[in-house]
Amino acid sequence: MLETTTWAALAHLADMAWPLVLLLAWVLGELLNKAIDLPRISTYALLGFVAAPAQAGLLPVETPNWVLLAANAAFGLMLFEFGHRINLRWFAVNRWLLAVGLLESAVSFAAVAGVAWACGLSERAALLLGALSIATSPAAVMRVIDERRSAGQITERLVHLAGLNCMLSVLVFKALLGLMVFEHSGSLLAALHASSVMVGASVLLGLVFGAAALGLVALLARAGSDNTVLFALAVIVLVALTQTLQLSPIVAALSCGLMARHQRSVLRRSERGFGAFGDMLTVLLFVFIASRLDARPVVAGLALATVLVATRLLAKVGSVGLLARASGMSLKKGMLTGLAMAPLSAYAVLLLEQVQQAGIDVGPDLLAQLAPLASMTLVLDLLAPVLMVLALGWGRELQERGD
Amino acid sequence: MPLESFKTSDALTLGVELELQLVSLSDHDLTPASPDLLDLLGRKPFPGNVVPEITESMIEVSTDIQTHHAGLLAQLREIRDVLVAGADRLNIGVAGGGTHPFQRWDERRIFAKPRFKQVSQLYGYLARQFTIFGQHVHVGVTSGNDALYLLHALNRYVPHFIALAASSPFVQGSDTLFSSARLNSVTAFPLSGRAPFVLSWQQFCDGYFAKMERTGVVTGMKDFYWDIRPKPEFGTIELRVCDTPLTVEVAAALAVYLQALAKYLLERREPPPLEDDYLVYNFNRFQACRFGFDGTLVHPQSYEHKLLRDDILDTLRRIQPQAESLGSAKALDELRGMVVTGSAAQSLRAEFARSGSVESVVEAALQAFRA
Repeated sequence: MLETTTWAALAHLADMAWPLVLLLAWVLGELLNKAIDLPRISTYALLGFVAAPAQAGLLPVETPNWVLLAANAAFGLMLFEFGHRINLRWFAVNRWLLAVGLLESAVSFAAVAGVAWACGLSERAALLLGALSIATSPAAVMRVIDERRSAGQITERLVHLAGLNCMLSVLVFKALLGLMVFEHSGSLLAALHASSVMVGASVLLGLVFGAAALGLVALLARAGSDNTVLFALAVIVLVALTQTLQLSPIVAALSCGLMARHQRSVLRRSERGFGAFGDMLTVLLFVFIASRLDARPVVAGLALATVLVATRLLAKVGSVGLLARASGMSLKKGMLTGLAMAPLSAYAVLLLEQVQQAGIDVGPDLLAQLAPLASMTLVLDLLAPVLMVLALGWGRELQERGD
Repeated sequence: MPLESFKTSDALTLGVELELQLVSLSDHDLTPASPDLLDLLGRKPFPGNVVPEITESMIEVSTDIQTHHAGLLAQLREIRDVLVAGADRLNIGVAGGGTHPFQRWDERRIFAKPRFKQVSQLYGYLARQFTIFGQHVHVGVTSGNDALYLLHALNRYVPHFIALAASSPFVQGSDTLFSSARLNSVTAFPLSGRAPFVLSWQQFCDGYFAKMERTGVVTGMKDFYWDIRPKPEFGTIELRVCDTPLTVEVAAALAVYLQALAKYLLERREPPPLEDDYLVYNFNRFQACRFGFDGTLVHPQSYEHKLLRDDILDTLRRIQPQAESLGSAKALDELRGMVVTGSAAQSLRAEFARSGSVESVVEAALQAFRA
């Protein structure tokens, strides 16, 4: 009798791994933030990596379903909030900003793909790495901005350029993948077409959800009241639906946010980052993403990853700096904007997992060759938030403590 | 250092300063955008003057010395257009209005300039709560004595300007029930209120100012936050009670109302001001802040009670000849229309009633300023 109880208790202990790691991550995040001003998401990622089943093994190999659900929700909510902050009209009024975004994406893609190829990666792997390197992580950008309450041109452009480069990254990545899968039967145009249709459908779904939620707000006559919960739930449903339909949750959640923007009262200022609920999901998301990484390929790819991270940063700093003045800001602030764009989108890892899960045949060596991506992700998960804070600080855009 | 001598200006010349709100187009909260905007505006000559204000989400513009409504309005429009074009390039909204409807004072960032940092140290939260937006109008006078005469003769008209400019019904997300809640923030400062009743510039300098200076409380006129203060270095008096209106058109109309009224008063068409006029000053001022055109005025010398609305309309009628000779009759018609149709405070309240959100109130202010 006693024995059964013990076993049952032990099983429960395993169930407790995730909550305990999350609690630990939060506490460490607070401590390190206080002690050395480390952005909290860096700590979460570090702990996730250390606690991963592949490393210390604190976390179970099999990720519980609730964690997956919550991670997806967190991801969707951040992108929604991100889309909510984007003013599309700005790209029309300030054409140079659009030019900055296109140039920055093109240069990041070309530079990373070129250097990767020159370092001995296959053409395919180099191109895919290049495509994934375009995107700046909206989740990381959102969290650091909210955490440090930064505001100003660097912050503003960071959000808008990251929104643009995420869309472009998804588009290019899917097109390349399509091209590789259908290499024998299709053409570049067909691949681009398929990728555009996927992105277009995701945008449309996001817009429809946004409009439907707004309609619900009107129906319930809740304009002016806080509709955060309604939108949060709508986004969670949306993300789940895109996964079922094999569409892009990133693009859909972003579009939904863009749509919701039209109703001014969707996100109250008190609910930036979805409040305490958002804070909790953030811990989970960043621990989860880093916990997917395996130290072995990370170490193996570290040298190349360092080169690629540096290349990517140079590309972004250089190209945003180049058009800074024309787009209405100083060279210094332009370069700082490029630096602040360091966070690599976590979706890179997720996309690769999707590729694996979908059983798309891109060749076994290709996935192996993409190992540097894991290293890049880890390096930037830890480093990029720090670079962001530095860039925003040098640009005087952070709320000074005690100011 | 004794107060400098009063510089002579051409009588009834005008200068307008507007403190404007810089708003984030993402969430319509105030945003610390003045360093970036000033940097961009610095690339080309500005049609007037543009300077930072104490918190980075404010900006102050001012006109050159103007003589007539047409020139003043033309320059204000030019300033607005350059400002809006620059702000558009940076995704910043520019708006009038005496307060931002829902900003939180503790999130404001003090502009990096020694005087601002000093003021912030001294006044603590008052400095940040001072994120309020006013219109200041300068009127030229030929002597210090005229300046003080005009300043005190205007005392009974101060509520007119408060009610006509009133555009600050919301503070920190709530309806204050005031038409101009902004002035309540000014009142918190120790040297606010009204100037002492002295009619000779010589006496003002050697008496009041010299004594105040000896106390160590003030070093210059800039330390006084009075509703109207003399500005000896410009040779003007400066009316400071107006909220920044939602449009530059109203700003210009308010300025020429003051100009015509000044002309009327300097022609000595009314009994001269008395110290006892100030017995009702704070009561009248409160009525205008709280109730706008519906406030009750007590005449300081006849003690007659009258609706502010009626007193403004009567005054506009009385100074019609002065307005016509200055070429501002049409502008005063606009004010007359406003007394009938309602102030900016009323239109902002109506927007809130329609949409139910303070963010929409900001949006309405943004659109009004551009138009």
